[in-house]
Amino acid sequence: MQAVLSIILLLLLVGCSFPPAHQPVRPDALTFPSLKFDFPKVEHVTLANGIEVYLRSDHDIPLIEITSMIGGGSIFDPPDKTGLSALFVKGLQTGGAGEFSPQRFEQTLENMAADLTVTSSSYAYSIDMSMRRQDLSAGFGLLADVLRRPLFDSRRIEVARQGLIEGVRRRNDDPGSIAGRTLAQSIYRNHPFGRTAKKKSLSLIVRADLLALHQTYFQPNNLSIAVSGDIDLNELKTLLFQTLGDWNEAPLPNLEPPKLPEMPSKGGILIADKDIPQTTIMLGQPGIDKNNPDMMALKVANFILGGGGFNSRMMREIRSNHGLAYSVYSYFQIGRELPELFIAKCETKCESTLEVVSLMRAQMQKMVDTPVSDAELTTAKESLINSFVFAFNNSHSIVTRQQRLDFYAYPEDYMQSYRQKIAAITTDDVLRVSRKYLHPDKLQIVLVGRRNDFEQDPAAALGLPVENIDLDNDY
Amino acid sequence: MRCLITCLGLLLLSQPLYASFLADRVQEEHLANGLTLLMLERHDAPTVSAYITFRVGGANEGQSNRGIAHLLEHMLFKGTKTLGTSDYLAEKPLLTKIEAVGSRIDRLKNDPDTVPEKLEELRKILRQLQQQHKQYIVKSEFSRIYAENGGVGFNAFTSKDQTTYLISLPANKLELWASIESDRLQNAVLREFYIEREVVREERRRSYESNPSGMLYEALIANAFTVHPYRNPVIGWDSDIENLSLAAARDFFERYYRPVNMVITLVGDFKSQYALQLVKNYFGAIPAGTRVPRVVSVEPPQHGEKRITINFDAEPALSIAFHKPAMPAPDDYCADLLMDILAGGSSSRLYKRLVVEEQLASDVRIYGAPGSRYANLLVIDATPRYPHTATELETVIYQELDRLKTEPVTTAELKRARNRLVTDNLRQMRSNKGLARLLSSYAALGDWRYMTGYADRIETIDASQLIAFANRYLLASNRTVVVLKREVK
Repeated sequence: MQAVLSIILLLLLVGCSFPPAHQPVRPDALTFPSLKFDFPKVEHVTLANGIEVYLRSDHDIPLIEITSMIGGGSIFDPPDKTGLSALFVKGLQTGGAGEFSPQRFEQTLENMAADLTVTSSSYAYSIDMSMRRQDLSAGFGLLADVLRRPLFDSRRIEVARQGLIEGVRRRNDDPGSIAGRTLAQSIYRNHPFGRTAKKKSLSLIVRADLLALHQTYFQPNNLSIAVSGDIDLNELKTLLFQTLGDWNEAPLPNLEPPKLPEMPSKGGILIADKDIPQTTIMLGQPGIDKNNPDMMALKVANFILGGGGFNSRMMREIRSNHGLAYSVYSYFQIGRELPELFIAKCETKCESTLEVVSLMRAQMQKMVDTPVSDAELTTAKESLINSFVFAFNNSHSIVTRQQRLDFYAYPEDYMQSYRQKIAAITTDDVLRVSRKYLHPDKLQIVLVGRRNDFEQDPAAALGLPVENIDLDNDY
Repeated sequence: MRCLITCLGLLLLSQPLYASFLADRVQEEHLANGLTLLMLERHDAPTVSAYITFRVGGANEGQSNRGIAHLLEHMLFKGTKTLGTSDYLAEKPLLTKIEAVGSRIDRLKNDPDTVPEKLEELRKILRQLQQQHKQYIVKSEFSRIYAENGGVGFNAFTSKDQTTYLISLPANKLELWASIESDRLQNAVLREFYIEREVVREERRRSYESNPSGMLYEALIANAFTVHPYRNPVIGWDSDIENLSLAAARDFFERYYRPVNMVITLVGDFKSQYALQLVKNYFGAIPAGTRVPRVVSVEPPQHGEKRITINFDAEPALSIAFHKPAMPAPDDYCADLLMDILAGGSSSRLYKRLVVEEQLASDVRIYGAPGSRYANLLVIDATPRYPHTATELETVIYQELDRLKTEPVTTAELKRARNRLVTDNLRQMRSNKGLARLLSSYAALGDWRYMTGYADRIETIDASQLIAFANRYLLASNRTVVVLKREVK
């Protein structure tokens, strides 16, 4: 009887949920069932020695992904050894660990078809690892060796150093890379955010620097590990206890970032003359950090200005209306500790360089001068709110999101309150923050392209002083 | 293409349970009009990835319409008779006028006898018409509707063999996708054509003309093939793009964007029964169309090395390509294994020797290109480390390739390569989007099941077959070498 009832119920449900037989209305007039969404659970434990552990089990595919984050990062590189963190992570990844020579370490990993990558960012070192379930025990062993017992093989350090120096030689090959570092330098100057590694700074780094860096930052109470995939909490805890349980906590290093210099108060044009048919345009000015109360309003404002793809004004005007570019966008780098930049970027043929700069600035000016329309505000807010579920689209993004929010000390309700905060933004908010943070007259404007092909004199056209960037001098 | 091939077969090797689990979960349906529908339910997150792939791409173009597959892909974001317009009936006469003036300009601009003033006058008229047209245009409506409904990754890409339109949506919006995409397929209006053509020229400048690796790659492919249309860049050469016509775009669209050439792939949180009905309702009435004809050109055997130099304002770079067969030829499996053994990881032969031991290069990469349906290329890219030259790198690379012709690879190398091929593909299946891409491309190239035995096949390939492969293809006479460097003045 119960079975019969269920079948009837099922038929009813299925019957109700079938789509209509004909396309009745415009797509945007369709109505939809409501979306069932619960915040996915992440398991979180703190080990006795201070290691923060996050887990999102997912048994769909027999793989395990691990992201380890260690406080530290390139913002602490000494000025004369800029590039230290870059060399450190290469040394950590390729220099061997524990009982494994560099070559044996790599072979062991690759025999298991595992991946291990070490990277550095401004405030952290990260080790990303991916392995098959069948190699769990060996994989965690290798990870623990890298975390605790790196060898920093001298020969491999040299290979890594020469590779980085080659990278310095090649950094003028790509116009985007020239533009990015020129912009950072123009705003941050000698602050770590503005410095780039040179042959000389890389050459000054010695093996003892890498060992000291490891000793300073790689402590269990400065480590966070996020795991997703085919593993359960008890199994994970056992593995971590076996490999990292006897690692004792130590005094933490000072993680106070160096203060920012005074930000430029005037705009300027920086030109790198390069023999290519298209100019890379990069505009920038000081922006915000994650604790800025205007962050949500700026997310909405920037969506409308240049962050919303085809729904943004910059794309609509410069690409779709004028056919002057393939790619154009803007964004606020949300600084985790120190405020970072507002950036807008575009590429256009050299002959339309100044026209496009003017169009981009005009779009910024319009944000400052006039309230956005209700329709634009709705599109921006609905998009940010309704795409929110994609923040939780796969197990590893779920678990690393929680890890990052805690690592960078975001407010506890950041994700929970996100949609309500976006929903509360008004056109007045957008106008207010646009006026506060967008200053089209004070932009640093970087142009990388064939200068002789620009339409006219850039200083005259844009009303700002010009500085020429000497690309040959940069090595 | 090995990524596509391995996706299912690999599971037989390492995870028999998972193989049957996946085989059970992919549901394949064929509509009466020939449309192929693949569905895979995954209920972990309330989202769906939807891919539509057409079995047509750059390789299906001719001399007169090179670049049209890609330009059409751009044009299909411009709306329909109801989306992207405030009043299609009022707009239509203007569209006709714009096309008449635009195509007249295209004819005259290539005629040496054209009086420049005449051309300028026509361009002025075109601009005026475009200005008038603006009153009817509702910009980027597909994009707006998808965005407001929480869609992400709304995009498309054109390759040599296929063209794909993709979006990921919250799970409750699947009908929105069906509604928009079926409208786009049946009622597309190719508006704002002459502006979009300029956008594509900017895309070309960005990806190829101002980018050393793009330029190197384009030169490699264009020179490696003499006859086969794989030689032509998908985006087209600049003079191709600026002369592409609306008529050519419409013709390509009407001819090939048909259910018989179409694969829909849905992966995520939905019920297959519902999705099937949805697809039938929205796409079922579209006439079947005819199949994209197979490219008949066959690349003749190469009788001697081709060597090209590209002058560009960048540090030197080297690219070497060898002709080889495409899937499912047995030699293509050999190529997959050999590529991993040569440059698949830090302990691979070329990486170890060039980057770690002799430090002649800062990097070396290997891959198959430029398409997967027709005989293609095995490509080695290497980055010389100053002061070493591309010539020094070539010498070492050829030594290593020659070694493959006589010495069998070790059992450990073979095993490692098999493991890595299998696992790398497993990694791509973690996300809905990755899995949809895999199934979609695979089905468009043939049948997603066709290669389920892939892992078994690479398991049966032994060292002697790799020796035979090396002797057959990794020959000086079969290679194209391109070196990019600064011009010495």
